[in-house]
Amino acid sequence: MRVETAYKAPSAFARNAPGYLFLLPWFIGFFGLTLGPAIASLYLSFTDYNLLQSPNLVSMENYVRIATADDKFLSSMKVTLFYVVCSVPLKLAFALLVALLLNRGIKGLPVYRAIFYLPSLLGSSVAIAVLWRQIFDADGIVNTLLWYAFGINGPSWISNPDYSLYTLIILAIWQFGSPMIIFLAGLRQIPTDLYEAASLDGASKARIFFKITLPLLTPVIFFNAVVQTIDAFKAFTPAYVISSGTGGPIDSTLFYTLYLYQEAFGYFRMGYASALAWILVIIIAIFTAFSFLSARYWVHYDD
Amino acid sequence: MTDAKLTHFAEDMKPPRERPWFFSILIHAALIAASIVMLYPLLWMLSGSIKDQNEIFGTASLIPSQFDFSSYARGWFGGQVTFGKFVWNSAVIAVLSVIGNVISCSLAAYAFARLNFWGKNFWFALMLGTLMLPYHVTLIPQYILFLKLGWVKTMLPLVAPKFLAVDAFFIFLMVQFFRGIPRELDEAAMMDGCSPWRIYWRIMLPLSLPVLATAAIFSFIWTWDDFFGPLIYLSDINTYTVQLGLRSFVDSTGSSDWSSLFAMSSLSLIPVFLIFLFFQRLLIDGIATAGLKR
Repeated sequence: MRVETAYKAPSAFARNAPGYLFLLPWFIGFFGLTLGPAIASLYLSFTDYNLLQSPNLVSMENYVRIATADDKFLSSMKVTLFYVVCSVPLKLAFALLVALLLNRGIKGLPVYRAIFYLPSLLGSSVAIAVLWRQIFDADGIVNTLLWYAFGINGPSWISNPDYSLYTLIILAIWQFGSPMIIFLAGLRQIPTDLYEAASLDGASKARIFFKITLPLLTPVIFFNAVVQTIDAFKAFTPAYVISSGTGGPIDSTLFYTLYLYQEAFGYFRMGYASALAWILVIIIAIFTAFSFLSARYWVHYDD
Repeated sequence: MTDAKLTHFAEDMKPPRERPWFFSILIHAALIAASIVMLYPLLWMLSGSIKDQNEIFGTASLIPSQFDFSSYARGWFGGQVTFGKFVWNSAVIAVLSVIGNVISCSLAAYAFARLNFWGKNFWFALMLGTLMLPYHVTLIPQYILFLKLGWVKTMLPLVAPKFLAVDAFFIFLMVQFFRGIPRELDEAAMMDGCSPWRIYWRIMLPLSLPVLATAAIFSFIWTWDDFFGPLIYLSDINTYTVQLGLRSFVDSTGSSDWSSLFAMSSLSLIPVFLIFLFFQRLLIDGIATAGLKR
């Protein structure tokens, strides 16, 4: 018996339509809220738009001013870079150290893991920033402990420009939980027979760590470093809450994002703030590109 | 870990390796000390909320000399708007965001993981590209757009984008999971004449509950904790979220009523803390998977 229904090749429309229908919400979001605004932002960065009057093209004026005549740009960039360079490596070091300790088949692992992860999960909320402000207050708990332990009269951390940024760095380090979990998962993926072979050969613990664990973990270290660096560049809430939105004392906690926010939504200099936003993108892109380039020399992928 | 699946790690089952007992004790001592450092600030806040004003500062003890819960009532009813209003606003925004993200991101993820169409790889690469794009670039034009639409000062700018699959992280997570579901299942269904929609709805979604839950939970937590979005778009105190309410509470109480400030701060963390308590596994697996599958 012959099968009656002859195979009919579906039309191009029938083949493509479902995919595009399923992607419809994403398309609207992508063009309307991501790509369109990104192009608009690039255009605005060459204008003097202030929400009230229609934008006038001012060619490179915003960028020239940023590069040559904007002290706040320089200081906020310095603050942000210092924050990134201090907080990210320390955070990753703690995350790796604790992950290594937890990866030793330790009893009570779920409990420890939960305790270390909790601060990262709560981290971005205002309550934690408020708490931090109180902890490092002149009569906060840090100074109380310093007094009891060492008889030191601690400074007023938050309102002293020499120390205020460090309190934010400590806050960032306190939240090492999520890179730690990624490290833990990465350590799990290292085949145990490698360790067995190495210990049969009589390799020392240090040798095993530097010759097996660390090299095989480099892809995960790389991922964590890139993600944490980008996140650190974008940090906003703690600096805003701790300094009551000012970035003070004397701009010591004026993160780049906070400066951008002030320009855009404090003074409504939308054109100028767009230029600031693009500079941030370029800087993050340079950092990321540099990471990927350097990765060739220290990240090992098994292939 | 099987490929592209949020499997539960076997780490908890692994028996401890042989090692000298004093070494074990040393590690536990270090971990316990670190745990105390991690938790102390949170416990200090919690105990501060039931301490007498004068007792919060100047003592390192976590146990109050007398338990005084009146700070919770003072904080809750203290402002010109009760805290309940903020909680309600936050809850509405967070729940709508969860619904929006789960629906729109799973639709996109299904297309990328299973359907074939012209330009798929190109769109997929663009979608991954948006993962890296800092939100600052789109921030100002988006604000202007929502201003022109008359949406500023409402919750729409905070909710509507979530229905348009703007968070590529969730799409990425779901694509990874969908790819791990055996293709035979939907191929068989297709043979039986199932439409892509039915396959998505009746096969993919029911099989993907773990990853949908992970996305839902992270979506809820991030929306609940979001400060920047509400800061820009909400200016009427009646529309404030918990985060904004807490911030304005800090400013209005100044340095007078610490215990009620701590009380409201503690309350604002409760939803996230409860979710953490109940869905720890999903959160941890989700974050670990996202980090490892690139």
